[in-house]
Amino acid sequence: MQVFVDGGGSRRVLARLVSLTVASGLIVFAVVVGGTLLEVW
Amino acid sequence: MRRAPRLHWISILLGLLVLMSVVSFHAYTEIRPEPVQHAREHRELPERTLALAFHGGPDPKWTPRLLDALRESGVKATFFVVGTQVTRNPEVTRRIADEGHQIAVDGFRAEGDWVDPHNLAFAQAALADVLGAHTRLVGAPVEVDSGDRDHQDIGTLVRMSLHEQRGVVRLHDDGSIGADIARELARTPGYRFVTVTGDRLVEATAAERFTGAVTAWSQRNGGIVLMLLGTAIAIAALLGLLRTLLQLGLAHTDRRLRRESAQEPPPWITPPVSVVVPAYNEALNIAATVRSVAANNHCADVEVIVVDDGSTDGTGDRAEELNLPGVTVIRQANQGKPAALNTGIRAARHDVLVLLDGDTIFEPDTIGELVQPFSAADVGAVSGNAKVGNRRGLLGRWQHLEYCAGSNLDRQILHALRCIPTVPGAIGAFRRAALTDVGGVSDDTLAEDTDLTMAVTRAGWRVAYRQQAKAWTEAPSTVRGLFRQRYRWSYGTFQSMWKHGGALLEKGPMGRFGLLYLLVFHLLLPLLAPMMDLYVLYGFLVADAPLALLVWAVFLLLQTASAGYALRLDGESLKPLWVYPLQQIVYRQLMYAVVIQSLITALHGTQLRWMSVRRTGLLTDVAGGTVHVT
Repeated sequence: MQVFVDGGGSRRVLARLVSLTVASGLIVFAVVVGGTLLEVW
Repeated sequence: MRRAPRLHWISILLGLLVLMSVVSFHAYTEIRPEPVQHAREHRELPERTLALAFHGGPDPKWTPRLLDALRESGVKATFFVVGTQVTRNPEVTRRIADEGHQIAVDGFRAEGDWVDPHNLAFAQAALADVLGAHTRLVGAPVEVDSGDRDHQDIGTLVRMSLHEQRGVVRLHDDGSIGADIARELARTPGYRFVTVTGDRLVEATAAERFTGAVTAWSQRNGGIVLMLLGTAIAIAALLGLLRTLLQLGLAHTDRRLRRESAQEPPPWITPPVSVVVPAYNEALNIAATVRSVAANNHCADVEVIVVDDGSTDGTGDRAEELNLPGVTVIRQANQGKPAALNTGIRAARHDVLVLLDGDTIFEPDTIGELVQPFSAADVGAVSGNAKVGNRRGLLGRWQHLEYCAGSNLDRQILHALRCIPTVPGAIGAFRRAALTDVGGVSDDTLAEDTDLTMAVTRAGWRVAYRQQAKAWTEAPSTVRGLFRQRYRWSYGTFQSMWKHGGALLEKGPMGRFGLLYLLVFHLLLPLLAPMMDLYVLYGFLVADAPLALLVWAVFLLLQTASAGYALRLDGESLKPLWVYPLQQIVYRQLMYAVVIQSLITALHGTQLRWMSVRRTGLLTDVAGGTVHVT
């Protein structure tokens, strides 16, 4: 087994979950803030 | 085998965008342009009715005094606020609203800049953050000028304010005169005071409040973010400078020592050599590789063992068809490069082994030069000087520069520190005893050459560098190919660093210098360096930051000089230097991306497969590539 490789897969699942959360959080953030500002009251 | 993680790139790009937006927004709020007046429609008020319209605030000192005066007089006024001031003085803004005055937007950075829709949006966001509401009243109607910007005499101001005996009176609450004139006007008998319109504040939605909180935070803390960015840049700049100084200083020392040793060279040794060429789908290059090795002028037996690791393109056949004396082809099912190397090493007859890739071309004297450091009994491995063979085009030139200015200069430094971390797969020689000590080539990492070199050093052997032993290798000719190759190298290097992390606690140069050098200059620096690009971009696009340009220019100059020196050390022409500045725009960022991708892959624990580079066979054009055996 190579160095770093996660044999069980739990680390990969956790990392993907974190990655997904961060990416979707940032997308929602950008859409909300950008959208609200561009909407112009 | 799983696909390498990619989702983080969205996060990184968006994160950088957010970071840039925060510092840019902060810089935007720091500038207060000249006020402008854009009167909206005329507001008809009854005779002897005034609407006091205050502009320029809220102000932390003068607005509260004005509010006191209005409260004493029982007058309700309209405050045409400036967004940045609202964020700076949230308490005062809340007091204006709490005391029943009307709040309107006059702009974001200055009076009257509401005509720009972005400023209007930012100002409304500021109100949403502070009041949880926004206003329908944007921009003042046609106003009677009180003259409070030009005159100080209260009598004059009152006269000017009342000369139409009705209407919206333009006043300011960012100076001491506001409260005084309000008090005097309120005392004038026979006048009624109203707000400009009867509009009430409109409750902001959650999205508006959130956006307001974000813009307010950016305005307040953008400076701190910029400072943190500046600190990261300073560290990156210092590390970059340190690396350049180390490179120049130690490379110079290394050169001087080599010159001195050349004056009294150790006796020329000619041990018999086994050359092992692991090859997988190298049909385009293998003939040129084997021919170049077989054409060596080493004065001892040189056997060549080509290990065809399950190629599907007839690599083994191409090598056999050459029918060269001393060349053996071994075929095995595909097991990976480490296994192929071990097969070759086991089959080899001699105690000095030269390992090279199937896409590498040797010069006739390469083998003879490469084995010379073995005259010292403590040398277990020797790194040769890998050079880019296909230098045509921008990518080829960039890689040529990087091989000279990056890899080879690094190798000279680490040679001086006695901790070369990588004997490249393209050209390296090993003593059989050293290989036996470390149990052969391991498949624990994707960079088996780095792993092997670190293991040999930790086993107590010295690793030498022989600049004169040159090998020409085919560099990737596409950006995609380059990324894949460097991704494997970088990830493999991190794997090797992790595997040999124990060296940090051991005596010996690998832990003290080698690993630290890699950690600082191959991991930390590439992670921090993008901040410099971001800052330069910020300087160009947002702030008037000639300093950013100056720092960048000085760095570019320094690095170009360093690259020029590296070319000179390597006996190369300085002509390709002209592409160096361009390297800063695409190539360097690609290298950062490689490091980030490797780090994320390590965190994910993904099993990467060997990513082979598509061959073009261009190496037949380089020196040695067309050599024929006589």
